[in-house]
Amino acid sequence: MGPLSVNEIISENTNLFLAFIIGIGFGFVLEQSGFSSSRKLAGVFYGYDTVVLKVFFTAAITAMLGLLFFSLFGWIDLNMVYVNPTYLTSAIIGGIIMGAGFIIGGYCPGTSFCGASIGKIDAIVFIGGLFIGVLIFGLGYNIWDGMYMAKFLGSPKISQTLGLSDGVFAFILIIVALSMFWLAEWAEKKFPREEY
Amino acid sequence: MKALHFLAIFIIPLGLIIAAVPQNKTKPYKLTADQLLDEVNTRTQYIAPETVADMIVKKDPSYRLIDVRGANDFEKFSLPGAINIPVTDLLSDKYTDLLNQDVKMNIFYSNGTITANEAWMVTRQLGYKNNFVLEGGLNYWFDAILNAQKPASTSPDEEFAKYDFRVGAGKALGGGGAVAVQSGQSQGAASAKPALQAAPKKKKASGGC
Repeated sequence: MGPLSVNEIISENTNLFLAFIIGIGFGFVLEQSGFSSSRKLAGVFYGYDTVVLKVFFTAAITAMLGLLFFSLFGWIDLNMVYVNPTYLTSAIIGGIIMGAGFIIGGYCPGTSFCGASIGKIDAIVFIGGLFIGVLIFGLGYNIWDGMYMAKFLGSPKISQTLGLSDGVFAFILIIVALSMFWLAEWAEKKFPREEY
Repeated sequence: MKALHFLAIFIIPLGLIIAAVPQNKTKPYKLTADQLLDEVNTRTQYIAPETVADMIVKKDPSYRLIDVRGANDFEKFSLPGAINIPVTDLLSDKYTDLLNQDVKMNIFYSNGTITANEAWMVTRQLGYKNNFVLEGGLNYWFDAILNAQKPASTSPDEEFAKYDFRVGAGKALGGGGAVAVQSGQSQGAASAKPALQAAPKKKKASGGC
C-alpha cells in the first residue's frame, strides 16, 4: 500500500499539503518543548540539559518501530522508501561543521526558524549565517565538488553492513537509546546549571 | 525517571517482537508480465538527457553509463565515463555484479532506444533494480544537448531555461553550441569547464531537524 505518494494513492500535491500540515505541527511541538531556546540545544553538549537528545532519539526509535511494524503488516514497502545516499567524506565533514554550529549557535536549522518565529534575535542571526553558508557552498561548488561526491556508498543500511536482520538491529538500537537516556539523566544531575 | 521507565516498559517488548518475527518478504522478486507492461506504459525506465548531462558535468558518482552497442561503435564514440556492455554479452557472468546491484544507477544507452530498452527489459525481468534507459538515445542526445535549437521567441520561459541549460551542458560536454557534431568526434573541444548553472534537480524531500 504505502508509501502513499510513490504508489500514487495520493497525488504529489496532496503529499506536499500533508507535509505542510505535519510541518506546522512539528514546528509547534518544537516551540512548545522549549527548543527555540539556544541554551537548551547547547545544553546537550555541556550535559546540563539533554531534553533534545531524548526527544529526537525517542522520535527516531518510535518511527523506526512504526515503519517495521507497518512493513510486517504489509502496509508499507520499505524498499520504496527513499533513503538518503551516503557520501562518506561529505557526511563526516558536514557532520563536524553541523555539530560545531550546534554548539556555537545553539540551534539546528529547524529550531532556528522556531526561534525566529517568536522573535529571537540570536535565531535570526543564525539564519543569516545559514544563508551565507548556502551561498558560499553554491558559488564555490566547482572547488569542492570532488570532495562533496567522494566515497559514494549507495544507500546502505547499518543492519545490512552488520549482517543482522532489521528487527534485531532495531532491538539493539532501542537498548542503546534507553541506556543513553539513563546516561543523559545521570549527566543532568552531575552537571546541573541554575537558571539558564 | 518515571517517563524513562514508562518508555522502557512500552518499547522493549515491541522491540523484542520485531526482533523475533521474520521480515515480511511477500513481495515477489521477479515481475509479472502485468507489472512489466505497467512499467513500460508509465515509462519509468527513462532518464531525460538533461538529467544525465547534469550528472556528467557534476561528476556525480551515483550513476554509471553503460553503452549497450557493439564494441566498434563504442570505440568510435561514447559518452564520458561510459563502459561498454554489448547487449549480446548482457548475460555474461562477468557483468552480473555490474547489473545486479543497489549502489549505482545504471543508465543504458544505444543509438536509438531500442537496444537499450532490450537490455533494460531483460535485466528488469531478471529482477535487477537500478537500471534505466537514456531517453531518446544518442541520436536525441546530439539534438538536445550538443546541438540545442533555440526555441521560438514566443515560447514560455521554461523552454528558454531548458535551452540555456542545454547550451551550457553542451559546451561542458564538448559540443560547440551551434556546431553540428554529426560525426560524433568531439575531441578538440575546449576542455575548460564553463560555469554551469544547472536547473535545480527535483529531489525527494529528506528529513532533518
